[in-house]
Amino acid sequence: MSHLVDGEPGSRHLMMGNEAIARGALEAGVSVAAGYPGTPSSEIIETLAKAAEARGLYVEWSTNEKVALEVAAAASFAGLRGLAVMKQNGVNVASDFLLHLAGSGTRGGMVLIPCDDPGALSSINEGESRHFARLVEVPLLEPGDFQEAKDMVKWAFELSEELQSLVMLRSVTRLSHASGDVTFGALPEGQPQAAFHCDGFVLDANEGAVMSAPVDYKHGQQHDKLKKAEALFETCPFNTYTGPEKPEVLVITSSACNLYSREAIKLLDVEGRVGLLKLGTTWPIPPRLVEKHLGLTDKVLIVEEVVCFLEDQVKILTAELGAQVGVKTFFGKRDGSLPMVGEMNPDHVAAALAKILGVQAESVPEEYAGRAQEAGFVGAPGRELTFCPGCPHRASFWSIHNALELDNRKGFVCGDIGCYTMGVLPAGFSTLKTVHAMGSGTGVASGFGKLGPFGLDQPVLSVCGDSTFFHSAIPALINAVHHKSDITMVLLDNSGTGMTGFQPHPGLPRDALGEDAPAIDPAEVCRAMGARVEIADPFDIETTQQVLLDLLQDRKGVKVLVLRQICALSPEKKGKKLYEMTLDQEVCVGENCGCNRLCTRIFRCPGLVWDHEKQAARLDEVICTGCGVCASICPSGAIQRREVA
Amino acid sequence: MQVFGPNELVDDVLKRDFCIGCGACVNLCPYFRSYYGKTAMLFPCTLSQGQCFAYCPKVEVDLDALSSGLLGSAYDGSPLGGVQEVLASRAGEKTGPGPFQAGGTVSALVSFALQTGRIDAAVLTDREGLIPVPRLVTEASEVATYATSKFTAAPTLAALNQGRRDGHTRMGVVGTPCQVTAVAQMRLNPLDKKDFQDGVGLVVGLFCTWAVDTRRLAALLSERVDPRGIRKMDMPPPPSELMVIDTGRGKVEIPLDEIRPLVPQGCQICPDMTSEWADVSVGVMEGTPEWNTLIVRTEKGRELVEEARQEGVLVTEAMPETNLGRLRTASLNKKKRALVRAREKGVLNTSDDGSRSALRVRDEVLKRILG
Amino acid sequence: MKNGTLTSDPYNLIIAGVGGQGNVLASRVLGGMLTGKGYHVTIGDTFGASQRGGSVMSHIRISRDASWSPQIPKGRAHMIIALEPTEALRVLADYGNPKVQVLCNTRPIYSVGVICGELAYPSLEDLEKWVRGLSEKAWFLDATNAAMKLGNPIFGNIMMIGALGGTGALPVDRQDFEAAVSRDMSPDRVQVNLAAYDMGVKMVEG
Repeated sequence: MSHLVDGEPGSRHLMMGNEAIARGALEAGVSVAAGYPGTPSSEIIETLAKAAEARGLYVEWSTNEKVALEVAAAASFAGLRGLAVMKQNGVNVASDFLLHLAGSGTRGGMVLIPCDDPGALSSINEGESRHFARLVEVPLLEPGDFQEAKDMVKWAFELSEELQSLVMLRSVTRLSHASGDVTFGALPEGQPQAAFHCDGFVLDANEGAVMSAPVDYKHGQQHDKLKKAEALFETCPFNTYTGPEKPEVLVITSSACNLYSREAIKLLDVEGRVGLLKLGTTWPIPPRLVEKHLGLTDKVLIVEEVVCFLEDQVKILTAELGAQVGVKTFFGKRDGSLPMVGEMNPDHVAAALAKILGVQAESVPEEYAGRAQEAGFVGAPGRELTFCPGCPHRASFWSIHNALELDNRKGFVCGDIGCYTMGVLPAGFSTLKTVHAMGSGTGVASGFGKLGPFGLDQPVLSVCGDSTFFHSAIPALINAVHHKSDITMVLLDNSGTGMTGFQPHPGLPRDALGEDAPAIDPAEVCRAMGARVEIADPFDIETTQQVLLDLLQDRKGVKVLVLRQICALSPEKKGKKLYEMTLDQEVCVGENCGCNRLCTRIFRCPGLVWDHEKQAARLDEVICTGCGVCASICPSGAIQRREVA
Repeated sequence: MQVFGPNELVDDVLKRDFCIGCGACVNLCPYFRSYYGKTAMLFPCTLSQGQCFAYCPKVEVDLDALSSGLLGSAYDGSPLGGVQEVLASRAGEKTGPGPFQAGGTVSALVSFALQTGRIDAAVLTDREGLIPVPRLVTEASEVATYATSKFTAAPTLAALNQGRRDGHTRMGVVGTPCQVTAVAQMRLNPLDKKDFQDGVGLVVGLFCTWAVDTRRLAALLSERVDPRGIRKMDMPPPPSELMVIDTGRGKVEIPLDEIRPLVPQGCQICPDMTSEWADVSVGVMEGTPEWNTLIVRTEKGRELVEEARQEGVLVTEAMPETNLGRLRTASLNKKKRALVRAREKGVLNTSDDGSRSALRVRDEVLKRILG
Repeated sequence: MKNGTLTSDPYNLIIAGVGGQGNVLASRVLGGMLTGKGYHVTIGDTFGASQRGGSVMSHIRISRDASWSPQIPKGRAHMIIALEPTEALRVLADYGNPKVQVLCNTRPIYSVGVICGELAYPSLEDLEKWVRGLSEKAWFLDATNAAMKLGNPIFGNIMMIGALGGTGALPVDRQDFEAAVSRDMSPDRVQVNLAAYDMGVKMVEG
């Protein structure tokens, strides 16, 4: 990591896209960076946090994305460069402030970097953030490779200052989490000074109050900025064209799709027939530049992820230009040349181009492909997602599941985003029955809890992680308390933002920079709201189950059960066993009536393996983390635990 | 006896709402559990045959198989089942005073059996508020603590199953007819397990016309009584038509018309009023609240009663013929009602096409009972 | 082939394994070796759910003069390094071709489906037979076991990099490895990693 700060200008490094983005922010002289963890964005803030001391930055993991954008914006209002980073879904959270910020304008360079996840490689949707740029009317940039990921960040700050507008720079998983060569630029000297000038004339962009009103004036100003951006984009070096002067097919693309398109053209060996217009500025698109290229071709293929964003804009522009460019045949998502859902790859683009051009890509012999598919199907058993060995969530869901079955009133659990989303899978005993946005489990539960008068007599539960609690479950819980909604919230407190790599949150006594921070206890917050709060250790499944059953009997109002046990992967926990575990295969009853492989068939911790030969369970000592939970579920006493001194 | 597995048990009993929560399937494995008067299956089990199904008194109960297995003769449908002797009884002076209802015969016999080592533990039913709770007791002095009537279906046999796992080999079970039927099925080792031990040393059956569903009773009472304050529940003999609940602050009376709808469906297909598969069966004696009716059924039962009497633990008298007649009539009426109901529900003597019955009785016996 | 050239440009290499095996580290080290030699390297990692038992795959594109897509086109792998044997088959199904070479660690890591008895894990004989049938050349190494002798199964991935060096398929050698790991590791860690690398080289030479 040292080269991040020490790397000489002109030196070349293999960097992850997110590291390149962070380096770009350092080269731009960013002063404040804030974000909320979310794959594939998290490494940007983490990388900047590592450089914070050396470069004099302030970096924080904010409570949620809206707060992150607000914190970064404050830096801009004070004349510093501010950066906000989030996963696409975070932009939804931040969008209220985003609209205001677009209207109020900015002072120091202000950049928002959302990282989208086409194909939902680490998400439960493949929503995208580009439409927000059009929706709130701010310029949008999309780097087309790793070098640009760095360079465009720096340019984004300059553009923001030139326009006095927020600039969005969108990355995707295949840039953020991929690595490529990046040549460094120089890091700036000196520490910028902050001052907030706010006593000037109200409409003064640099001295007045910062707000989006008066609306007609400010909104008009915003459009002037967009016009200016459009003009700058016409000559922007990040918009490039490669290919013949008059291509048979013009490919218009951006972001990682640039790399796929380039590859597809080479793959088909059609460099002489296909032109590639790669746009780094995708809102607004530069009309004259696009017009020029449209005029030189009849067929246009638009390659992008995920929804039709470029495609719509290019078609609108073509309609506006009318006779000037003539009638074009468009290929892309709308005509089915490319899939509407899922991430793009070189093969999709090649298939589309091959069809348009009437050529065929060289492919693997059919006989080989058939054998390979078959061997893969038979020989590579699927790897279903599961909770880690020793994960507290497995134990928590075990108890929640069992309590609901025992309670026997068809109770259900509303969930949301975190590792515990897997509670919807067999890994979590299929306990979750709704899964939506951060904090939504509790909000949805709050609504279910008011349906009693309509005949809904099932117990209503929600689960929520500790980081999610601070992020967005608090308002939902307050709503439930205030409206006397009959719900039980189970707070799965594993002391960190487990899913994305243990970023700190307000419940922990340290911040993103590793400094001491006042920890806020979620249980106390819930008590202060007036909820009945109980605390248990999820590894103690007997007690947890009993407490939960008692809470379920308490029909009225909001109950909170805090299940506190540190994540098995957290740095403090890793490698430390609570118990030494043993499994006596002679005592194990296996498939017989009396247990029928409860531990390997149902509990399914990766540390326990079904031994076909011995017809008994076996403990994998390398994988077992010694949480001890399986000893309390084994009915035959074959699994024993001994406390580690 | 047809033995299927947990999935059939769920279909036939839990889903049909025939489960009376006796606890026979509980604590055999990690899958069936009882909570607050209801039995639940926690996770799916894939076995094609299980003890859970085999022991359940609400599915595939073959009365002939039970009778031949336990008594060595076919089931004949007589109103009181196999009987050596019917007596009037009450606890003797040696038993000491207890909170027991009626004559204290059950407490007297069970504590005596514990003291004399006939049994190594007693499987009894306690009550926490309105919730019946199984108890495994090893001290004779504790027996009387749990001696009050419950009137709600109880998972008592969960304690028997647990006791067997814990190594008890001759437990004394005090149970209602459904529970006694389940114990009878256990004793026949229906899965032909090697080295099988039923763990049962004595079965004391209780008379029962019906019980009520715990949760529904709790719901009914929730606005009238604080369940934690309940000291005693009683149903005085006809014509009172009341359930009387002693809360310590006075008595609350609930008309039986309000209670009867709370009787689970499973009770309505039960043909047994007097716990016919027990060693001895005990009930109230009509018109004489301080005495019990005691049916001595087996040799083991006879020896116990005889010795208890000699030691002054139990006092017996001959049963007046009028009482005996009324007992037979009541018992026969329960049989009739149950068999008619079971037939209506399509769970009596289903054909051999693979469909499962709750109850199997030979046709000629059925005709005899229904008259 | 110390100063040799690439047999194909781009040269497409896939490192496949299971979460926790050090897939990403291995791809980073190899990338560092090649960047040190002036090659353009692009690595596409798929590791979103890796900590939770999922498959992990790194696509490594190596070129003298250009950057390539972080996703290799289907059927276009030149070399597959499988840190787990069934992962070799999973990758071959999508990216294999008759010319592909495979370096395969033979230590299985069972998936949850296998652990719980719902899915069958193939025999090593079958795995070897299938992999050989789908590749021009294949090496099978018990790298995890050898790594445990060095004190930690995680060295298995470095051993596989050593084995790659030993095959001569890429213009990199021990010096490049030493240079790459020296940048980020303390000297004693460099030594044990070098030992792992050397063991890997021997495994394919022997």
